[in-house]
Amino acid sequence: MDENDLNSDHVNSDTTVDDDDADCYYDFFIKGDDPMDPEDAKSHQGSGQKYTILNQADMRKRQEDVIAEVSTVLSVSGATATILLRHFNWSVGNVHEAWFADEDDVRKRVGLLDYDKQLSDVNAGDRASCGICFDVYPRDRIFSVGCGHPFCRECWGGYIRSAINNGPGCLTLRCPDPSCSAAADRDVIDMLALSDDDKKKYSQYLLRSYVEENKKIKWCPGPDCEYAVEFDGGGGGEDSWDVSCLCYYSFCWNCLEDSHRPVDCQTVSSWLSKNTDESETKIWILARTKPCPRCQKSIEKNGGCMHMTCNPPCRYEFCWICLGDWYNHGTCNRYNEAADVEADKNREDAEKYVTKYTHYYDRWAANHSSRQKAIADMQRVQSMQIRRLIETQGKAGYELLFITDAWEQIIGCRQVLKWTYAYGYYLPENEHTKRRLFEFLQGEAEKGLERLHECAELELNQFLVDYGRPSEGFREFEVKLKGLTMVTRKYFEKLVRALENGLSEVQVSGSEEIGQNIPMTSAEG
Amino acid sequence: MANSNLPRRIIKETQRLLSEPAPGISASPSEDNMRYFNVMILGPAQSPYEGGVFKLELFLSEEYPMAAPKVRFLTKIYHPNIDKLGRICLDILKDKWSPALQIRTVLLSIQALLSAPNPDDPLSENIAKHWKTNETEAVETAKEWTRLYATGA
Ligand SMILES: [Zn+2]
Ligand SMILES: [Zn+2]
Ligand SMILES: [Zn+2]
Ligand SMILES: [Zn+2]
Ligand SMILES: [Zn+2]
Ligand SMILES: [Zn+2]
Repeated sequence: MDENDLNSDHVNSDTTVDDDDADCYYDFFIKGDDPMDPEDAKSHQGSGQKYTILNQADMRKRQEDVIAEVSTVLSVSGATATILLRHFNWSVGNVHEAWFADEDDVRKRVGLLDYDKQLSDVNAGDRASCGICFDVYPRDRIFSVGCGHPFCRECWGGYIRSAINNGPGCLTLRCPDPSCSAAADRDVIDMLALSDDDKKKYSQYLLRSYVEENKKIKWCPGPDCEYAVEFDGGGGGEDSWDVSCLCYYSFCWNCLEDSHRPVDCQTVSSWLSKNTDESETKIWILARTKPCPRCQKSIEKNGGCMHMTCNPPCRYEFCWICLGDWYNHGTCNRYNEAADVEADKNREDAEKYVTKYTHYYDRWAANHSSRQKAIADMQRVQSMQIRRLIETQGKAGYELLFITDAWEQIIGCRQVLKWTYAYGYYLPENEHTKRRLFEFLQGEAEKGLERLHECAELELNQFLVDYGRPSEGFREFEVKLKGLTMVTRKYFEKLVRALENGLSEVQVSGSEEIGQNIPMTSAEG
Repeated sequence: MANSNLPRRIIKETQRLLSEPAPGISASPSEDNMRYFNVMILGPAQSPYEGGVFKLELFLSEEYPMAAPKVRFLTKIYHPNIDKLGRICLDILKDKWSPALQIRTVLLSIQALLSAPNPDDPLSENIAKHWKTNETEAVETAKEWTRLYATGA
């Protein structure tokens, strides 16, 4: 089966998903939307990609390019160009501007000596005494950076090493003489450093400086990631800042938090600072354990999906979020303001705020930890379950890619769903129609995702047992999981777009109708 | 013993410190450790420390001269850039250190710091505050401490 087959499979399976209401929940999204196109759905960094992932070699190349440019235009050595660029935050324009406005001033600021003065060695003669170790050396063992202050090769080496070990300050290294500002450039380092290791560290600092002071490039904040990302587009508005690094970490290039569509960076920062204001640990415990609604025993959430089963002998199955019975359970994302108003009649406003906040925080946090769990699960799936399935189902590895696909989708959707709770928290309470539409869409998203998550997490297990032959149901499972993956992907994409548009279709139709019609549409489907 | 392979630089610096001491400063290596110096600085004239004899210790680590010497006051002193433990806030002892500086330059700088306290870059918040809000009174305290701790005995 090649890539195309996999895709057409997706499309076909669409009609075979057991529960077809998945299909109709995009009907009421923005009209005139693109027809379904699995290609475009698959890649979040397709043709519209506005960023470039840079590895160390790419960064070095870019750095060398700007150095070469400045070096050519100003007729200075590459090492001198490097000093100038570093001083002016790697902006070629700023170097040129300052240099041509007042070359002498720039030279003075960065410690570049005038060529005329360079010959005025203090100690003329065959031998000179090193200003650090005080030993006397023949001229050819003594170096100065054009200023004439003599230091021996070994002392230069030690001086350079200690500067490098002290950190990025080594990039502005000057002559060891405290009264002298002559710069020791990278040619000096190359010539006098004690070891290749020192040279390597120096060039690493140089590269870091290039990335960190460059306005268009940022390091990927992913753990242990060494890639940097150059962002070319404007971002904001319709364009997202979302970046997906080669290390699989996806983040917002603008604020460097985890990807947070559909909410903007400002909302993320308010939400996150609100969260740290609340007692963090207390809230996390709250988010991880709850009493079983039947037996009251505390039960810790360990699975990724919201379908909880209490420990034996109780075995009560309930929804983690609303604690409702799992089987008589519709949606539970809706914040029931009316009920709260009733209950809160005599309470303080502050308490209302806490109630509301806790509602959204609980769900935000639940999706957050569910996502963390899913990431761990996916690793386990990739390392163990797939291998197991190859044995038990007699499949080739590439035939099982749909499972990884599903998990990646779950992880991505958990992220979106998580941030929709921050979205909901900040959605004005007086915009009733919008709130209703939002809560409906979010509820459907949640249901759809739960279905996918449960299928990937629980239904897969039965196929891990080895009966000596492929299981009969496996093909069905495959079709179902693929279908759910695609349906969920499409749904979430549209959800994100709709929320990013501020649910503008509410304004367009200008009435309560949409909000009222939606549940009907769903029921019909 | 650490003294056996003492770098020539340290030997030369020591010889010069002993043979041509800077005015108001004496520094001599300890007998059992040539990297450890007993230092005395006379309180500079026209400073609140005038008339006082201040004892310091100075140690040259293995990294010296790539790293600055470690210096601290042993005599109690009331000064905004010197804390209770005698530690000194002086740029050349930290980021402005250069291996082309020497023990002599360090001690001269410390002497200069006694002449010109800098409450804007304090090590001791309380003393610096005192200095800035009521310099006359702070100077009096410094004189008092000098009399109490840095004279006689
Ligand atoms: Zn030397
Ligand atoms: Zn120099
Ligand atoms: Zn990365
Ligand atoms: Zn952001
Ligand atoms: Zn129970
Ligand atoms: Zn529920």
